Amino acid sequence: MDFKLKNMLKLKTFAAALLLGGALISCESDLDVTPQDDDELLADGFFETEGAYKQALAGVYANLSLTSINDPGGSNIAGLDAGTGQYIRGLFNLENLSTDEVIWTYENDPGLRGMQRNTWSSDNPLILGVFARASYEIALSNEFLRQTTSEMLNSRGVSGELASEIETYRAEVRVLRALANYHLLDLFGKAPNVTENDAVGFDQVGEIAGTELYTYIVTELTEALPNLVEARQNEYARVDQGVANMLLAKLYLNSEVYTGTPRYAECISVCENLIGSGYSLTPDYLYNFMADNNTNGAQNEIIFPVVNDGSNTQNYGGTTIIIQGEVGVPENNGESLGVNPGGFGGLFRVRPEFARLFTENPLYINDARNTLITQDRPIEIDNVGNTAEGYLITKFSNRTSDGGFGSDRTFTDTDYPLFRYADVLLMYAEAVLRGGGGSESLALDYVNDIRERAFGDTSGNIIQSQLTLDFLLDERSRELYWESHRRQDLIRFGVYTGSDYLWSYKGGPQSGTSIPDYRKLFPVPNQSLSSNSNLTQNTGY
Amino acid sequence: MKILLKGVLFFLLFLPMISIAQSTVSGTVVDATGQMPIPGVNVLVEGTTNGTTTDFDGKYTLNGVTDGATLSFSYLGFRTQNIPITGQTNLDVTLTEDAAELDAVVVVGYGTTTKKDLTGSVSLLGEKDFNKGNNVTAENLLNGRVAGLTINTGGSPGAGSEIRIRGGASLNASNNPLIVIDGLPINNVANGGRSVLSSINPADIESFSVLKDASAAAIYGNRGANGVIIITTKKGKQGLKVNLDSQTSVARLTDKIDIFNASDYRSLINERFPERTNFLGTANTDWQDAIYQDAFSSQHNLSVSGNLTENLPARLSIGRADQEGLRKTSSFERTTTALSLNPRFFDGTLKIDFNANMSWERNRFAPGVEGGAFQFNPTQPIYDPNSRYGGYYEYTDANGIALGNVPRNPVAQLMQTQDIASVRRYYGNFKVDYKLPFYEPLRAVVNLGLDNSESDRFYEIDRNSALGTNALEGEELGVRSDTDYKSSNRLLDAYLVHTKAFGDFNTEVTAGYSYQIFENQNFTTGNVRDPNAAPPELTLDPDVVLLAYFARGNFNYKQKYFLSASIRRDGTSRFGESERFGYFPAVSGAWQLSDEDFLKDSNTLSLLKIRAGYGITGQQDIGSAYDYLARYGLGNTISQYQFGDQYYNIGQPFYRNAGIKWEEITEYNLGLDYGFFNGKLSGSLDFFRKESDDLLSQAPVPDGVNFSNQGFQNIGKFTTQGIEFVVDYNLASTDDFNWNVNYNLTYIDREINRLAFGQDILVQGISGGTGNTIAVHREGYAPFSFFTYRQLYDTAGNPIEGAYVDVNGDGILNDDDKYISGNGRADVTMGFQSSMNYKNWDFSFNLRASFGNDIYNNVNSGSAQYANVYRTVLNNVPTQVLESNFQNTPDVLVSDYYIENADFLRMDNLTLGYTFDEDKMGKGTLRLWTGVQNVFVITDYSGIDPEITNNGVDNTIFPRGRTFLFGLNYGF
Repeated sequence: MDFKLKNMLKLKTFAAALLLGGALISCESDLDVTPQDDDELLADGFFETEGAYKQALAGVYANLSLTSINDPGGSNIAGLDAGTGQYIRGLFNLENLSTDEVIWTYENDPGLRGMQRNTWSSDNPLILGVFARASYEIALSNEFLRQTTSEMLNSRGVSGELASEIETYRAEVRVLRALANYHLLDLFGKAPNVTENDAVGFDQVGEIAGTELYTYIVTELTEALPNLVEARQNEYARVDQGVANMLLAKLYLNSEVYTGTPRYAECISVCENLIGSGYSLTPDYLYNFMADNNTNGAQNEIIFPVVNDGSNTQNYGGTTIIIQGEVGVPENNGESLGVNPGGFGGLFRVRPEFARLFTENPLYINDARNTLITQDRPIEIDNVGNTAEGYLITKFSNRTSDGGFGSDRTFTDTDYPLFRYADVLLMYAEAVLRGGGGSESLALDYVNDIRERAFGDTSGNIIQSQLTLDFLLDERSRELYWESHRRQDLIRFGVYTGSDYLWSYKGGPQSGTSIPDYRKLFPVPNQSLSSNSNLTQNTGY
Repeated sequence: MKILLKGVLFFLLFLPMISIAQSTVSGTVVDATGQMPIPGVNVLVEGTTNGTTTDFDGKYTLNGVTDGATLSFSYLGFRTQNIPITGQTNLDVTLTEDAAELDAVVVVGYGTTTKKDLTGSVSLLGEKDFNKGNNVTAENLLNGRVAGLTINTGGSPGAGSEIRIRGGASLNASNNPLIVIDGLPINNVANGGRSVLSSINPADIESFSVLKDASAAAIYGNRGANGVIIITTKKGKQGLKVNLDSQTSVARLTDKIDIFNASDYRSLINERFPERTNFLGTANTDWQDAIYQDAFSSQHNLSVSGNLTENLPARLSIGRADQEGLRKTSSFERTTTALSLNPRFFDGTLKIDFNANMSWERNRFAPGVEGGAFQFNPTQPIYDPNSRYGGYYEYTDANGIALGNVPRNPVAQLMQTQDIASVRRYYGNFKVDYKLPFYEPLRAVVNLGLDNSESDRFYEIDRNSALGTNALEGEELGVRSDTDYKSSNRLLDAYLVHTKAFGDFNTEVTAGYSYQIFENQNFTTGNVRDPNAAPPELTLDPDVVLLAYFARGNFNYKQKYFLSASIRRDGTSRFGESERFGYFPAVSGAWQLSDEDFLKDSNTLSLLKIRAGYGITGQQDIGSAYDYLARYGLGNTISQYQFGDQYYNIGQPFYRNAGIKWEEITEYNLGLDYGFFNGKLSGSLDFFRKESDDLLSQAPVPDGVNFSNQGFQNIGKFTTQGIEFVVDYNLASTDDFNWNVNYNLTYIDREINRLAFGQDILVQGISGGTGNTIAVHREGYAPFSFFTYRQLYDTAGNPIEGAYVDVNGDGILNDDDKYISGNGRADVTMGFQSSMNYKNWDFSFNLRASFGNDIYNNVNSGSAQYANVYRTVLNNVPTQVLESNFQNTPDVLVSDYYIENADFLRMDNLTLGYTFDEDKMGKGTLRLWTGVQNVFVITDYSGIDPEITNNGVDNTIFPRGRTFLFGLNYGF
């Protein structure tokens, strides 16, 4: 009995201890958890290390190439397939696939048919992808600028050399933001008006459009220029004054389209600046598009590359989709392009109108830029889904200049030449022809520089009288095809819409048909409109 | 924890100290209808823990019964009898079956109640209600048995299931009910196992409680949104009992996709593709036959229960399951052991329950080769002696190197892939329930729970496989990776229960605290054979901490008027400081009309009870937790960016939503329990309405202001309404013949009321193109509604390829012309069970039916077009192409032509058994039985099985076989 009582007492103590234990653990602060993974950090923790600033800078650049931080199949934007939402691939789809330069075989892929037949609606996922991806670039840039204000740097004890280096990073990031805004201006005529002064979250920011957007971009670039490293003096793939000037040249050249006011003189002046910056045409045209184009000499011509790497920078857009897509079926010529024999199953062919730029005049048989594969293939594409129709090209390659292979057969090493010196020469010539001043004979020389590089000698040279705007439009396509310029060029030359120039499947039918003028701009995606009531839809949609 | 263990040891030491000696009572318990002895009846001296159970002859002997005590005889499914002892030493008892099982103990959150006291919508299933047959996973014991509960189990061995209570409550967050085992809510992470429930041996389960409505589930607060399934495992009982259960089975394929056989295929090519006849081979291969096998399986369970010492009932079981899958190489093996110690002290005022379960699972996963099998050219052989790919035929170039963009030999893919996961899991709980001696009405309960699992998954594709890394370059590396998972889940519940009657007014108040922490990590090597693959990666998930205070009061007056109210204050680490706590209240009441004077004496209407409930539950289990934190991610080595000659790991901010919080579900339930003819006919009827608000939706974000264009936001609302009807009828109940049938029906109607910005959300990817979707979330319609073009037909009724109705009449056919053409979810589901006994024979079967569910036949839509026949090589296509005559997949992929009605009636199982009783056996009883599972399916659906998950998109499935079983059960 005595024992039992003792037991009871012990028991009471025990039960009480249990309950008390419960109360003790009831520490509500346990709900404040922090990430434990070494790859996932709170913002403040991330910026504790000095190297973080360059990693964050790499993050802003990487959005031009990568779709997520650790997986080529993953994406930090939603609403479309990861690879389709990659920056360069989106640009290529809107600037090239919507023109005479290329056709996509698999029209069951969402949005593709609408894109390449110019019948897109505001629900088209490809358009959504580009609007979102470019806006994401702006958001990343803004975040970088917020995290690197002098107050923030001071509070984290960053000073001295690193602080001044970060000053350069900031200027580069402003150019990257301007680049994204430029793409939005070119494709949509407007952009969300958001800067580093806006909060992260869900604010329905206003829109900035037309001349206002144009002026904002020009101002940003002009302000960033003095803080940038001189042209060709920065590390490979980083923004320098050359990139900023190139963007300015593009803006000036298309100013009439963007603002109604021509600015060819300004274009000429910036081009002159670029021409005097030490860039040179690489002797072999095709070196610009090879796996080692960061080292084979093409780096002297490429003003701004977007990096792709089979081992280190894997994505399903960029040159990966372009090179894999070039591979023909039934040719299975992937090996010669440095990828798996079957590539992506005959994704791309060129439309007959583009092919004729090289085939109508036998002169172009000797043009190094003519990479058409025509054997056993009809030039016309009667059935978009038939990979055996239409010519192939082999311009981009995952082989190196010495015949080697890229580091991987799926993901390519070839950097995408977003801006190239040859384009500067052609822009100069065009601005001269459009009455911006400059020198007509220099313009001819520059064009012939490009022709001599293409033909290996003077056999392709032209004379002054041949240097016309019509010639330049064709020459730009011969020189710059698949480099995301074509739609912009066709618009500037006034033949993208309407019926003056019909190409296969323009507007839908194989024979091509007129498309209305409003299609010079893409619609703001429905999803973007719905989540931000301060955005307005473009006319016609 | 250490202190706790010491405490336990301390008590175990003093166990033998407690003993009392009084008189002995013995007798036999039989059932009223058949006068058959009932084994396993609980015999208990009321108010004590002194008790025993009847043996296989229904006999019991109970020591230590004092004069004046009351003996209580209880058995699940029978009315409890309480008999006062006035000197008897022999007491034979007859129990009457109780279809309504009013006295059955129902486990609810943090406590138990009886069916009679229930005010919410709760279903209880005990062992005798379980489905018979080859049930390897726990949830299959329940399938078709509970109105409002749907279970869709895959065809792979040990497969997991899509479990939905009242259709689920969420669009984008989890729709899985919370599963609680002996008080421990488990984590919904399978980590290498087949499913969260696959490591649990169904033979160790005593009962399920399914908490369906919010008034019952709200005690689980922000985890109760999708309902709760509470699993109670078997415990130790007085009296030695040994049970051996063994079964073996074989499963066969029931159906195949209709494709061209080799000779028809030759005719097809000769007729339609004469220029491709050179691609025809000489073999006759049925690729679907080649990838499947007859699957043999067995299950053995042995359990022993009894008391180790006088006051220490215990149960020990071991179980073993071996299953083969129909798809070659797939298998599931599981060894389990469960130990339950259930000591009772101080006249039962201190109850300790200790449950420890261990399980070892070994899964071999077979890659899904159904698509390859129906596409592969039937005139090509399986084997090719000249092949460099392990002797398997593959399409190659002139050098014998595999071609790209062509189908791979599906048999080779099966045989050359080893994907094996070994899972070790231990889980259990330690529960102390103490009636405080100094204040009788108060009980203190502490429950500690633990669930740990570790698994490693070995993955290898043979070096000589055409699927391996660099295989197309002639450098065959195969694929090799290892993945280790570790997860742990620890729980502490502490609560007080105060029970007191004030005259006819009975009260029970429970209040307590719960703390639970989940940890999860995995390590993967990545493909070590691929020089450019992602590097090894250790991923540590942030801990999930859940913390709650809860209280509940149950009140009744004269056992006629019932009221129950509960509230939980619940916090989760998944949300930010301002949003992490929420209150989840519930209230419900019931009126036992049949106990009112005007009905009391009616034998016709023996039970009538009206129930009404209201409650709010939440859902905090969202896919991307921790969006509230300002986080940066660091990229891995394959996602770097180059500056100069160097590559840099990139740092990018993640999408942020500082205000993210739980989904809130408000549910109303109105129910009726009825019984006629003394319970011969009984059942229930429930109406419910669930409003899911603040739905966590993957919704658009204004571009440029956040780090994605979409992210989880609390925008959206949808409503689920439904009716559940259950009837149980005891058709015959005589000495020799018993027949019971049970039928349940559920009607569910779901509608999205609000989406972010009113925007349609395109969902449900399909094959045939990259990134295509077939369904839509749209306001005013059910979630995952099929969204297609409307097919045009010619006058002969044949579909016109690529011709659709211009729905909006604008003259352009584009995305704006899609319309809502069906839904994969059923409107009505039904279950029917019949069980019959004649003398020593028993016979039972189950039927399940589903109406109003459609299927998008992606097998046909993505493949049954002539243009797919020749793609680099010749491919087979479904013979459906003969009907449609379609050429090009892109033109027809999103047509409503491929939406099919998938109503079905399925007989899940059929069992026949014979019991040799003790007269014949000498000792113990032996039951032999045989059965068939998946007996038949009646449906108009043209694919191989109308019962699919994937929101109604049939893109080939792991087929369910028809299983023939034989089993024996021996016990004494």
